[in-house]
Amino acid sequence: MNTFRLKISTPDGNVFDGQTAKLDLRGVGGELAVMAGHIPFMTAVKPGVCRVMDGDGSVRRGSSDGGLLNVSADGTTLLVGCFTWDE
Amino acid sequence: MGLVASSKIRRATEAMVKSREYVASVQSVIERLASSRECMRSPYMQVRSSELSRTRIIVIAGDRGLAGGYNANIFRFTAAYAGAQFIPIGKRACDKFGEGILSAEHCTAADISTLSHRLCAEFASGEFDRLGIISTRYVSMLSQEPFIQWLLPLTKADGVPSSGTILFEPDEIDILNAAVPTYVTGLIVGAVRESFTSEVAARRTAMDSAGKNAAEMIDRLQLQYNRARQGAITQEITEIVAGAGN
Repeated sequence: MNTFRLKISTPDGNVFDGQTAKLDLRGVGGELAVMAGHIPFMTAVKPGVCRVMDGDGSVRRGSSDGGLLNVSADGTTLLVGCFTWDE
Repeated sequence: MGLVASSKIRRATEAMVKSREYVASVQSVIERLASSRECMRSPYMQVRSSELSRTRIIVIAGDRGLAGGYNANIFRFTAAYAGAQFIPIGKRACDKFGEGILSAEHCTAADISTLSHRLCAEFASGEFDRLGIISTRYVSMLSQEPFIQWLLPLTKADGVPSSGTILFEPDEIDILNAAVPTYVTGLIVGAVRESFTSEVAARRTAMDSAGKNAAEMIDRLQLQYNRARQGAITQEITEIVAGAGN
């Protein structure tokens, strides 16, 4: 599976910075997924669960208080106020 | 206390650098959104009044004293904005301005997120017209200065690169309205971390100079003590010799 660089950034530092196959979350317009090769895109993210899938298919779940998702050619950045992994 | 402050400095500086990176990324996104024409209609961009009675200011001071002029400088700075409603962060600020977030050292991004979501909702509904933060800028280990930055309403920045071919979902104004609380959280957390770094740096400098002053005082008192002791012995010998002579 093709991967892309994802950075989940909070005011206390990056919670995640690495290669990912897919990111699922809830934007203001509804559920959405970002995969490798996505066009430059920006949306606001609602508070809730988001799922990060690695290249080998394993999925990690986390919760955020909402924020911004910015997809650009340099990589994808999820900017949130706070983020915790469910584990 | 100086040693404790020294050990805290490294951790505080790391937290400050991390929050600065976050603030820079959020700020660049918000500036890009705020420069679009459509976003001028956003409630967060409406300049209403600059009256102090309709202004809220977050004041960040320390949890403890003995940090040189750190707390005093902040409170002196707030005097220029008397009449505004202050929201304190840090024990010293809470002692002066009433209820708020009690600890500047241990407050988490989640605490601040709750505060900023509430403030943004109240700003959007027109309960107040301006939101600012008074905090301390960390210039170097020896120099920290209080300053104010205005968070809301957002101002349109000049010279922002155009959005180009970015797809906004659903549109710029909705993204901006939803992202402002995240932006405000980021700026407040950044200011809290920077102020805490300034506090420990100020405390270390203050404790270093207190230590030096105490060492000087000990030297001076030791000299006085030796002189007095020597004087007393000399007098006693003189008395004994005088007594023996009779």
